[in-house]
Amino acid sequence: MRSWLLVALAAAACSKSGGNKPTSRDGVIEAWKKGGLDPSAFKETKADVGKDCASGTVNKLDVLVCTFANEKEAKQAEDNGLAWVGDSTGVSKAQGEILIVVADRKKVDPNGKTMNQIITLPAK
Amino acid sequence: MKLRFALIVLACVFATPAAAKKYGKQVRFAGIHPVPKGEGGGICHIEAPHVHIYAANKLEYRTYADNNVFVGDPVAYGWDGPKYAYKGHHPIQVNAVVGMPEPYVHFCYINGPHYHYWEPPEGPEFKVSGGAYFYVGTPPPVYVEARPAYIGINTYYEPIVYTRPVVEVEPPHGWIMVGAAAPVIVAPRGRVRGGVGVVGGVGVSAGVHVEVPAPTIGIGVHVGGPAVIVGGGGGHGKFKHKKFKRH
Repeated sequence: MRSWLLVALAAAACSKSGGNKPTSRDGVIEAWKKGGLDPSAFKETKADVGKDCASGTVNKLDVLVCTFANEKEAKQAEDNGLAWVGDSTGVSKAQGEILIVVADRKKVDPNGKTMNQIITLPAK
Repeated sequence: MKLRFALIVLACVFATPAAAKKYGKQVRFAGIHPVPKGEGGGICHIEAPHVHIYAANKLEYRTYADNNVFVGDPVAYGWDGPKYAYKGHHPIQVNAVVGMPEPYVHFCYINGPHYHYWEPPEGPEFKVSGGAYFYVGTPPPVYVEARPAYIGINTYYEPIVYTRPVVEVEPPHGWIMVGAAAPVIVAPRGRVRGGVGVVGGVGVSAGVHVEVPAPTIGIGVHVGGPAVIVGGGGGHGKFKHKKFKRH
């Protein structure tokens, strides 16, 4: 009985982690911090990208993080993320149920290394 | 196996994946690529599909799902990540380079030794000799048909001074550059720039004599043994067993 409980708890922990994809905005921000990036506070914001979005900065790059009901919706919203980027260098990438959109409006990341970290760190 | 690969190439080379939306002045890219000098130069390291406000040239890029995918030699622009040496023309599984599923195969038309940041698929179409990959498969007609549009990449790279791979071996039997599919290769003249001597032209005898511009650079890294030349930062795609793997 006790071993069954342990197995069930372990399975629940695994399913909650969702493999290596983030399941929450806080998880994404934590991944950035662990990776050595410097995210600001993120505030709820209205955006045409999704219903549950927050914006802030990471290493002076403008970042929008939106949470969706499922991975498919997040993926479908990637294009809307590019509309948010506007006329600047940027990237819009779904990681699980989270969509991460980055815009380099101040031209602080000319070689894209930080932008690449912002979209890949949460998946590691 | 060769026939299957050729069929895949034929089926895919003119495939047009679904069009993506365009916002403002955005130009879509996928995978790493050079940054124009006017925008600061160097390499853009964003691997996922992304946008810039500058254009991509037609010689070094192929269009896949509305994304410009760089298929040139990134080392020419300062790339210091993983790199793999090739010599001569060869197919590129463009979709695999950027980790996308819909097959799209095109060709690289760089005549001499050069680098890419991905490995070819394992199989009989590529042979490793002197630390470089040589394409020994049978190219489909589209390889010849598309060549006039892309062969200019050699003139484009000629003046760029950088450390090209040194490949000084007899090419393996069946190498595309001595086959009937590549009857005329115009060799650009060698140049000396910035103190780096580039000696162009390697005579290849295999029935047909072809002047292949194979720059031998006086200062450089001799590539011998393994085809994997340099390891580096992770996250870059490569072909294995016909499937693309990302680290």
